[in-house]
Amino acid sequence: MHLKVLLIMNIVMKKQLEDIKAIREMMEKSSKFQAINGLSLIIAGLIAVAGAVFAYFYLLRNPSLTHFNRTQETLILLACALLVLGLAVGTITLFSWLKAKKNKQNLFSKVTLRAAYNLMIPLVVGGIFSLVLIYHGLIGYVASTTLIFYGLALINASKFTFGEIHVLGICEIIIGLLAAIYLYHGLYWWTVGFGVCHIIFGVIMYFKYDV
Amino acid sequence: MSIITNLNKLFDSRIRLGIMSILSVNDSVDFSTMKELLELTDGNLASHLKALESANYIQTTKQFIGRKPNTKYQISALGKRDFKEHLDALEKLIR
Repeated sequence: MHLKVLLIMNIVMKKQLEDIKAIREMMEKSSKFQAINGLSLIIAGLIAVAGAVFAYFYLLRNPSLTHFNRTQETLILLACALLVLGLAVGTITLFSWLKAKKNKQNLFSKVTLRAAYNLMIPLVVGGIFSLVLIYHGLIGYVASTTLIFYGLALINASKFTFGEIHVLGICEIIIGLLAAIYLYHGLYWWTVGFGVCHIIFGVIMYFKYDV
Repeated sequence: MSIITNLNKLFDSRIRLGIMSILSVNDSVDFSTMKELLELTDGNLASHLKALESANYIQTTKQFIGRKPNTKYQISALGKRDFKEHLDALEKLIR
């Protein structure tokens, strides 16, 4: 008799546990953007490192290998940065699309739009502000500005996705502030923030969510 | 066992639990999104929604997007309260 009660209790408990698991899953699935793939963050980080290495060895190394003047160098740097940004965003979008497809989820759901909207506000403001800095010739501040605004954008969007993105945002802001203090090493901080951080968080998220 | 009685009979089905979970973390969700999330057929989802609606746990708003009818669902204050009670009861039970 006693054993029977225990057995029934066990079955009841099992159902409740499964209920709670289902509730949790539905809450997350319906309110969070889960399609970020750790692997795409790693690739984006590697692209950023490659861009920085190119910029360092091709343009900024003293003595420089090229005979461009300062304005031309700035334009090439800007083009390089935009190319890195485009490739990184493209990679992350492509991998997200593949992951959403694999999980039979709609990539362009309300949650995605909400996350993207919240990401874009600080990002667009930061981008415009960086262009203004370049316009005024204050190139030294661009690295810290992009890092800080990128961090704020991640924190703003992190409510709609994995918690790791929030921590990544905080890291980017700290590195951005450091880049503002050590003003003449902008490229190093930029490499750490956009390259190394993405690789580290990409590895963490890959093993936590994708394996 | 008094804690058992706190478990709401209406939430016995996994599908209804799913609906309430989705609505408790989103302002409003339309029918097709819900269908996609829960991986259900129209009829199955509709009957569970109707049951929850007649218990006044959810509210519906019907509107037209172009010519297509679009139904949005929201959780009611009563639904929120009773769902929370159900969750608390579940929590107590497994502790």
